[in-house]
Amino acid sequence: MSGQAHSVALVGVDGRIVDVEAAVGGGLPRTVLVGLPDASLYEARDRCRAAVVGSKLAWPDHLLTINLSPATLPKSGSHYDLAIIAAVWRSEGHVPPRLRERTVMLGEVGLGGRVRPVLGLLPALIAAAEAGFSAAIVPADQLREAALVKGVKLYGVGSLEEFQQVLRGAAGAQVPAGEKGATVATGRVPDFAEVIGQPEARWAMEVAAAGRHHISLSGPPGVGKTMLASRLPSILPPLSDREALEVSAVHSLAGMPVEGLVHTPPFADPHHGASAVAMIGGGSRVIRPGAISLAHRGVLFLDEAPEFSPKVLESLRTPLESGEVLIARSGMRARFPARFQLVLASNPCPCGNWGSTTQHCRCQPYTVRRYQERVSGPILDRIDIHQNLRQQHRSVSRLVELGECSASIADRVREARARQARRLRDTPWSTNAEVSGAGLRQLPLPAGMEMLDRALRRNQLTARGIDKVWRLAWSVADLSGRDRVSADHLATALAMRQEKGEAA
Amino acid sequence: MALRGPGRRAVGEWGEGQAAAYLTALGWEVLQRNWRCSAGEVDLVARDPGGTVVLVEVKTRSGLGYGTPLEAITWAKQTKLRELAIHYRRSHAGVGRVRVDAIGVLRDGQSVRISHVRALS
Repeated sequence: MSGQAHSVALVGVDGRIVDVEAAVGGGLPRTVLVGLPDASLYEARDRCRAAVVGSKLAWPDHLLTINLSPATLPKSGSHYDLAIIAAVWRSEGHVPPRLRERTVMLGEVGLGGRVRPVLGLLPALIAAAEAGFSAAIVPADQLREAALVKGVKLYGVGSLEEFQQVLRGAAGAQVPAGEKGATVATGRVPDFAEVIGQPEARWAMEVAAAGRHHISLSGPPGVGKTMLASRLPSILPPLSDREALEVSAVHSLAGMPVEGLVHTPPFADPHHGASAVAMIGGGSRVIRPGAISLAHRGVLFLDEAPEFSPKVLESLRTPLESGEVLIARSGMRARFPARFQLVLASNPCPCGNWGSTTQHCRCQPYTVRRYQERVSGPILDRIDIHQNLRQQHRSVSRLVELGECSASIADRVREARARQARRLRDTPWSTNAEVSGAGLRQLPLPAGMEMLDRALRRNQLTARGIDKVWRLAWSVADLSGRDRVSADHLATALAMRQEKGEAA
Repeated sequence: MALRGPGRRAVGEWGEGQAAAYLTALGWEVLQRNWRCSAGEVDLVARDPGGTVVLVEVKTRSGLGYGTPLEAITWAKQTKLRELAIHYRRSHAGVGRVRVDAIGVLRDGQSVRISHVRALS
């Protein structure tokens, strides 16, 4: 006598269908779980049995062998419980051997028979839908998250009794009609109106948002670097449904509650004590996404960038290029998306006053250099805008009117992005920051190229630096509503690039 | 209340009787009850229709409070039964194939439920 049910094994955001088979008989009463389960999954054996017996439902009193196949794929997690119990009941003939649709089952059970939420439900269902499954049994508490996946019929179950009824053909809990795939608002996103003064830096953030350029903010403590960075998501264009789904899938894996599609770009600001694993993702058995994946399609803000360990900063290099991170362990390779916009904030030196006109820097010149070199060349090289923030003039503290609000900046950014999308229609890129050097040269040439030649001749700019200025100039032109880069745009871009004297 | 002393033994003996009757009904020949040696005791020795001599461990329960009867057969007990099988072969030369089975007898109110697992590994 044997029974079968299906679940999903997750490695990174990629899922694989797992066949759960149960066979009864052939030895002393015992439950055996085979198919490379790890410790957390092996416990499912005792948990399922206790939950089923505790709910006054039937559990076989013979040798019970549960097999998870493919047997070579290491499996982990508590979400196989429902599939295991279904396979067991089917093997005993308590419930029909299959439902009408091809169905996956995901859910953890509690000892009292309650069905509990699981990590990574969203990516698991996406994988199931791609593998041709048309229905899913999920924890009732997570119906709203599950409803984000289109084309999968859902059965929500809150307890083992309900689960058994669903397996016998009942409809289960459903998502309330109005809430299906609803957009949920994130908590209040801080607004640019609260930033008083710093007009240059505000403009730099706007350009960064328009072309999706990585940006580095440098300045003495307290000038508003963190304030500016945390407001970047408020002026970025909202995520499309597809992008929002990708973001929600990663957040689901990280155990963050997913109630609906969030269209505000995410914002991750790991502390500078973060380890490489916290940053790029990892873990020995279960591989979890790191800060860069939580910032996917959004902003990764590294405050006090020079304080991050060099190893952690260097680990950002590959994801910055590829937009995803591949974490390899002995048994598996996990892939997480990581297409983020990097914002670095740093003090110019340990005391923070180097370069200030009003304060005296107490650092040795050598210390200043060492401090600035802690963010390595390869990382800085990927940053298009270097913005210095200066201590504001005293009169600013008496300003009472607020700055321009995020919504009106966001309007300009959206128009600029639309302009880019039209121009880059037939290319693999969608924003200025992504366009390759060769790609730039196929676009209309900017006016005033001699300016760049002059900078090159004076060693103010490298060849690669020219490309970067060029990209920036496009973003500036897009923001001012032009389809050509003028000499003015180029001059503005050159100035933003050269903020940090020696970098190019 | 848990049974102690003579009452406890009486339940065990009653269960062994039930198991013997069950095997006889299957067409087996019960050779001996409570075969003893230096290593311990086997509840039943029987010969199945195929001629294999079977050492049978009988577990009796008068309720499910402590699990099913067969769940009480632990790993240590299985090791002990294998050891007894070796002793049995040594003391009965030319006996042929020997195997170990387990029979659970559950007294559930008026009815008796017997579960039989063949060839413990």
